Formats: sequence, C-alpha cells, structure tokens
Amino acid sequence: VRRAIRRGWTRLIGTFLRRHTDRDLAQEIESHIEWLADEDIRRGLPPDAAYRRARIRFGSVESAKERYRDQRGLPTLEILVHDLRHAIRGIRRNPAFTVVAVLSLAIGIGVNTAIFSLVDAVLLRPLAYEDPNRVFVARELDPQLFGERLLGVNPVHAREWAARCPSVEDVGLTQRANVQLTDAGEPVSVAGARITHNLLALLGVEPIRGRGFRADEEQAGNHHVAILSETLWRSRFDADPSVVGRTILIDGESHEVVGIVAASFRVPSSGANRRDEIFRPLVIPDDEIGRMMGNYNYFALVRVKSGAIAGQALSEMNVVQARFPKSSGVTTDLKAVLIPLHEFVTGASRLGLWTLSAAVGAVLLIVCVNLANLLLSRAASRSRETAIRAALGASRRRLFRQALTESLLLAVIGGVFGVLLAGWIIELFLIAMPLELPRIDQVRVDISVLAFASGLTILTGLIFGALPAWRLTRDDPQEALRAGSHTVTQGRRTLRLRESLIGLEVAVSTGLLIMAGLLGSSLVRLLHVDKGFDHDRVLTVDLSLAGSKYAKVERREQFLDRLLANAGAIPGVEAAAIVTHLPTRGETWNDPIYLEGAPRAHKHTVNNRYASPEYFRVMNIAVRQGRSFEESDRGRGVAVLSERAAKILWPGDPNPVGRLFMGEDDTVKTLVGIVADVRASLQNDPPPTAYYPYWQRVPDGVTLVVRNSDLTAAAEGVRAVLRREDAELPIPAIRSMEDVVNRSVEQRRFQMGIMSIFAASALLVSSLGIYGVVSYSVARRRNELGVRLALGASRSRLLGLVIRQGMKPVVVGLLAGVAVALLVSRTIRNLLFEVQPSDPMTIAGVTIVLLVVGILACLIPARRAAATDAVAALRFQ
Amino acid sequence: MSAKTDVWQGTLALMVLKTLNAMGPQHGYGIARRIEQTSGALLSINHGTLYPVLLKLEQEGAIASEWGVSDNNRRARFYRITRVGRKHLTAEEAQWTQTTEIVGRFMALKGVKP
Repeated sequence: VRRAIRRGWTRLIGTFLRRHTDRDLAQEIESHIEWLADEDIRRGLPPDAAYRRARIRFGSVESAKERYRDQRGLPTLEILVHDLRHAIRGIRRNPAFTVVAVLSLAIGIGVNTAIFSLVDAVLLRPLAYEDPNRVFVARELDPQLFGERLLGVNPVHAREWAARCPSVEDVGLTQRANVQLTDAGEPVSVAGARITHNLLALLGVEPIRGRGFRADEEQAGNHHVAILSETLWRSRFDADPSVVGRTILIDGESHEVVGIVAASFRVPSSGANRRDEIFRPLVIPDDEIGRMMGNYNYFALVRVKSGAIAGQALSEMNVVQARFPKSSGVTTDLKAVLIPLHEFVTGASRLGLWTLSAAVGAVLLIVCVNLANLLLSRAASRSRETAIRAALGASRRRLFRQALTESLLLAVIGGVFGVLLAGWIIELFLIAMPLELPRIDQVRVDISVLAFASGLTILTGLIFGALPAWRLTRDDPQEALRAGSHTVTQGRRTLRLRESLIGLEVAVSTGLLIMAGLLGSSLVRLLHVDKGFDHDRVLTVDLSLAGSKYAKVERREQFLDRLLANAGAIPGVEAAAIVTHLPTRGETWNDPIYLEGAPRAHKHTVNNRYASPEYFRVMNIAVRQGRSFEESDRGRGVAVLSERAAKILWPGDPNPVGRLFMGEDDTVKTLVGIVADVRASLQNDPPPTAYYPYWQRVPDGVTLVVRNSDLTAAAEGVRAVLRREDAELPIPAIRSMEDVVNRSVEQRRFQMGIMSIFAASALLVSSLGIYGVVSYSVARRRNELGVRLALGASRSRLLGLVIRQGMKPVVVGLLAGVAVALLVSRTIRNLLFEVQPSDPMTIAGVTIVLLVVGILACLIPARRAAATDAVAALRFQ
Repeated sequence: MSAKTDVWQGTLALMVLKTLNAMGPQHGYGIARRIEQTSGALLSINHGTLYPVLLKLEQEGAIASEWGVSDNNRRARFYRITRVGRKHLTAEEAQWTQTTEIVGRFMALKGVKP
C-alpha cells in the first residue's frame, strides 16, 4: 500500500514538474537504438540495415513513449485538467450564458445555504446544555379548572416531584419579570428571571465568574443577590471583574452581584430568543407554600436521572400528582406532562423553517431545470462539434465527462459566490429581519454549513449537467452531422426533453405560487379581521412600576391616578387610559370567574384585565350594554365582561347587567357593562374577558394608551408627563397601536414576503424557459411555417398554432403543480388563517397568472413566427 | 520479436532490480542486453517495454537515475538501485524462490498410469 501511495504521489508530482520529459525519453531511446545498431555495424552490416534491425529489436518507439507517458502522470488528472481547460474556454466563449448561470446558481445556492444555516442553528444543533436529552419542561393539567390547557407548575408540586420520584434527578423553577436597573447611568428595564439555586447546575451551566446561588439564598431575607449576564456585564459595567462582590440597585433595592454567566446562556424558552440579563434567587412566598391546588405560575425544568426513562419519571410524577387534589378535598384528574427540551424550544419554529427550506429547495430545483434547459439548447448547437469529436474516436464516456466538467465548473463558481451571498443574507436575517427564533444568535457560516454548500454545489452541477450531457452524447454522430445540414429538421427529441423540463418548472412554480398565495391571503385576512378594537391614532407605552419605590399599593395607585389625569390633559389628547395587557399580545392572566355558590365545575377560566374607565373609549371597544366603570365605582366591586364572558356566566340572560358574580380575586363583582369581544391574538378567536377597574388590584405593570390625532405630538407630551412624574422611570419605546398590531404579525409577514419573492423568481425563470423553448421551436420550424404560409395559412392561424404548442407543457405542468400543491399545502395548515389549503380562489388566481404569463412568453416568438416571410423562409433552405 | 518466452511486467521489474544490484549503475541498453545475456538468449525482450518499467521503479523509489555520458560518448540516463530497491529485491527474491519451490514440487509428482 505504501508503495502505491508513494507511486501516486510521485506521479502527481510528475504531472506538474515534468521531471521525465518527452525530450529526455527521446534522447534515451535514441542512444539505446544507436547502441543496438552499433552491435550490427560491428558485425559488418551496413548502417542502414543495422538501424532498421535495431528499430525492430527495440519495438514500437511510439507505443513505448505512450506507455511511458501513461506511467508518468495521472491520466485521470490530465484529462480533468484538459476538460477544465476546455470548459473554461467554453465558459468564456459564452459570457451571457455564463453570467446567467453563475448568477442564478449563486442565488439558488446562496439562499439555500443561508436557510440551511438557520435550520442548522435553530433546529439541528443540540442545545447548549449538558446532556440536554435528559432535560424536560414540565407542565400541569388541571382538567376541572382549565380543561386541556397546559399550565405552568405549582411550586409545591415541583418540590414533591424532586423529593419523591426516584427517576427524577432534580427540578428547577424559574419565573420571568422585567427588572429595573437604576444603578450606573440611565435607568433601564431589562429582561430578568428569578431562578431556583439548582437551575444552573441542572442545565450543566457554570458561571464564568463568581458562583451560582446557594440554597439558603432562596429564603426571604437572604435573597438580595444577583447573577448578571456577560452581555450586561460588558455593556453596562465595562467588563469590570470587581463587579462581582459589588452591590447594585435592582428594582430600587440593593443586591450583591455574586456571579456572571456566559452571554450564550439562555433559560430555555419556546420559539423565541429571549436573553435574560439579571438573575435573582426565586423566593416562594409563604402563602404559596401552603397552596396545594392552583397557582400554576412557575416554569419548571426536570432533569431525569441518567439511565432512567422519561416515561417512568412521568408516571412517578403522576402518582405524586394524584395526592394533591385529595388532600385539599378536590376531585380533578391532576396530571403532569413532560416535554422534551429540544421540542419545547424549537417546536414552534419547526413548521415555518421547514416550509422555508422546502421553498428554497424548490427555487434551486427550478434554477437547475432552467440551466439544464439552456444547456440543452446549447447542446443542440454543439451537437455538430460533439459528432465530429465522436467520429474522431472520442469515447462516449469521455464526451460525457467533458460536458459534465463544464456544468460542474459553473456550479462551483456559482457555489463560491453563493457562499459569499449566504454570509450576507445571514447578516441581513440577523439585523433586519423580525425573526423570533430560538438560538438565532448562533447562526453562522461554519464547517457544517460549508459542507452543506459544497455538497449542494456538486449535486446542483450534476443535476443540471447530467441530462444535457447525456443528451449530447447519445446522438448518433452520423445523424447529427447530417442534421446540421439545412435539409433535415433536427432535434425533435431534444425539443420534447425541453418541453418536459418546462412542465417541471411550471409545476414547481405553481406549487410555490399557491403556497405564497395561501400565506398572502392569510395575512390579508388576518390584518382585516374584526379585532374588536380600533388601532388608529392610539399610542402605547409599557410601564413597569417595580422596586421599593412602588412596593406600596398606595404609591402605585397615586402614580397611576396622577398619570391618567396628566396624560388626559395633554393638548390634543382625546382620552388616556391604562390596561394590564394590550390586545394582540396574547392570552394571559387566565383565572376563573364564577357565580357565587356555584360548584367548582362551574368555574370558567377567562382572560382578566385591569383597566381605567376610559380604556374602552381609547381603544374604541364598543360598549354593548350598560357602561364602563366610573370614578364613582371606587369603593365597591364592579366589573365589565366581554360578550362571550357574559354569555358563559348567564347563557340565557339577554341583559345580565346589574347581576353579581365572583371575580378572579374571589370577591363579589357587580356587572356594570358588557363590551364587544376583543382578540387577544389576531389569529385566534377572542377569548372571554373580564375587565376590572385598576384600583381594585393595582397592577405593577401597565400599558398607557392614549388616543390622539397627532401621534408625534402626543408622544412628546406623554414623555414629558412621565418624566415629570418620575425621572427614574425607564421609558421604553412609545409605539402606535398599529405598530403593536403589525409586530404581532411580523413573522407571518416575513414568511409571506419571502415566499412571494421565491414564487415570483420561480415564475420569472419559468417564463424565460417557456420563451426559450418556443423560440427554439419556431426557429426550428421556420421552413415548415414558410410552407404553411405559402399554402395559404393565415397569420393568425400560425400564431394560434405556435401558442397552442408552446402552452401544452405549461398546461400539463400547471395541472401537475396544482395536484401537488393540493397534497402538500395541507402540511402548512397551521400557518394559514381562515384560508383552506385547497382555497379555490387562490388556485384559480394562480392558474390565471400562470396562463397569462405563459401566453405572453409564447407570444413574442409566436408573433415572430406569424411575421415569417414565406419566400425568405423557403429561400433560407 | 522472437517467439521465445514472454516476459510479464512484474517479472521484468524483478530482473531489472537484480541486474542493477549485480552490476551497479547501468543505462537502459545495458540492462536490456544483460537480461538477454543472463537468460542465455532464451529470453528476448522488446527493449521499448523496459522504459515504462524503469519509470515505475523510479516512482516507487526502488531505483534512482541521473544523466551521464557512456564510454563511447553517448548521453544516457544511468540507473542504480537504492536502499529501498534492495529491500524490495530481498523480499521478492525470497517470495520467488518459495513460489518456484512449491511449483517445482508439484511438477515432480509422478502421474499414475491408467
């Protein structure tokens, strides 16, 4: 083996260095023959005869040279070099084709590589935790109160699981809340989380500086410690190592910084890339420690013991779960659910990303098909050249290899540009795109992405090169040579091949267009859905009243009262109000309301909102019956329900205003009004909602909403009012409600936009393909058309003839595309909104678009055909 | 080409090595003649076939070559065996001897008369 390697190596070297040149060999052979001749001359033969004999004894000089040459270099490599040279010449001879090919390949490969890098980082790469397959997200199911909804975890339950389940190694809890950092410079509100002391260890994460939390720091009184993220540490504390051990102000209270975690660390979250900047110990309040049921408010991670099975752990947890309802005298089938961490983190992003991958894959396929088509038309004009080479003794394999070398070379050039383009697209994704994806910050062009791009490049070259290469070398050289003359029509087979490629292109384009159409009409419907409120001319500001300054309810209430009064007095402001959660930001604060004395089974979970009296006016939410709350309601329990909520409590009562029920805080409320249903998220039906005046439970996080005709002026006014009230209060961006609504559909808008771009480019490429094939066929049939004209066919007949024939593959492709789309679009059902995957309008629209584009693409060559001058065409022979 | 014994390439390589080992540096003609002589004119090789074999041996590092001038003032490439070549030779000689010995034993078997 070593000999073979050594031989291979010296042969490789020999190819380039040419140590044993042909001249050397010739010299050697010449001497050799002279010596042979000398022998005979010495024996007395005349030199002539001696040389002749010497040559005979030596054998064929040419054959010796040839075998020597074969032995000298690597013939494969030499052929490759030769083919490459030939390919480069071919590429330079056809700059237009080369530019089109390289450009379309670069775009195709670039987009695919970029999307792959997304898929790789978000979906494929293992999570950056120790042994992540053993970590699960725990959820609870309380069918009696919450039906099938997956809930957070009650901390008492979590503790019992950790203590009583042999297969469970550890259970960690977190709860998220934005915190205010008033230390060092401008007050800011940053993402924060409270975590149990074991959470970092459970995930296998070590702080890069300092330490994690200790168990005793979960006791109230010891809990004023914090861990910072590396990012915050760098941006706000200049990466000063002495920050560890220092005291900083968080939510107005002093906390000792005990550690710093790496910037890449994330508390697992679903479908998003939320990075927490400040971690504090999770202190479970005393009153919650006694609550056996309800309080499903914590996010729990469970690590299963190594060697244990998740199913086993789950059944152990459910044994524990069964005890809680009993001990508090409730009958409900309390269950736990374990979700694998990877599925939890990436699950929500999966469908969208795979759809995108399929779309870019389809685009690349179209690029390949189109290039194959272009190469086929070149093959037609090159068949003479190939035929001559075949006639001169080139083997079919050799010709095939050469043709393939050219397409591979094109693919490689395209691939190189594609990878550069991919880097750029990724940058664009990261900066400009509203991609709410987990781990998106880890997207980069790395080894696996490069490997993917190289593989894709080779595959692409093979796909678009193989068919034309095969077609080119299949010709009988004799026939091809004859076909080159004017008397015989050529390449009927090539035409048929090209027509089927057109069919394929049209089919794929149809599929893409239908997908884009479905996503597009979903988006349109989503934006025009009856939201229940009116987003025009409304400004919103999120406020967080955290920290010791606002620890007292009275302080918060005072602040909100004054804020509402002052904001309402800003010139031009029609009305100002606050609410705990804006519509379109999702369903939150789910707690039951019920009629007093009703059995537990008749508790109904609704969305609960605390708002100020003017809220419905600001948001233009119609008051159907009764009224909103008023200042005069202070001191008594009142509430407003949405129509659905009212219907749930009093199914038979057309006007229940004035009746009593129990609110989410378990106190009696008088129903003072019923308002229109409002969507909590655009794509879902409005949930039943209960509204209470804010003074009944003064919240610490609210959104100020202001109705005004001049948004910029109002924004200035609001900012001034807030500064006057509390200079230390962080003011996040002031947004219009329209912006808030738009943000909630950004992901869809992005999906739809990118899908439309793909579909449009597919359509463009296909129409170019149709044009190319029809022109080719018109040029090929010039004589025939001329004869038809001469025999009296009308020009419009010719036009119709060409269009009819050009449209044949388009129609076939269209039908196939619609059929495939009907099968495939079902998989994206979850991305659609109020549109059936088989939406007839979309399919009809796409069909019309494709037919029109197809006819237009045929029309230009068809008109050329119709304008044929019969005499010229016939003389052309 | 006389209809004597065919020489296949592997064997030719072995003969070349053996010749160079015995005679020291030689040019192509010298090697060819020597092989013919050694075989007692039983073996006639097509001299041209020698050169690809020489090149192959050189690529394997078994022989080395350099240009020189012969006694009668002809420019020629002189080949000599290398250390690697000697190792090959010893190994192949042993193998060859073994093979011929085994074949020889079979040849010595007496046939049974029917």
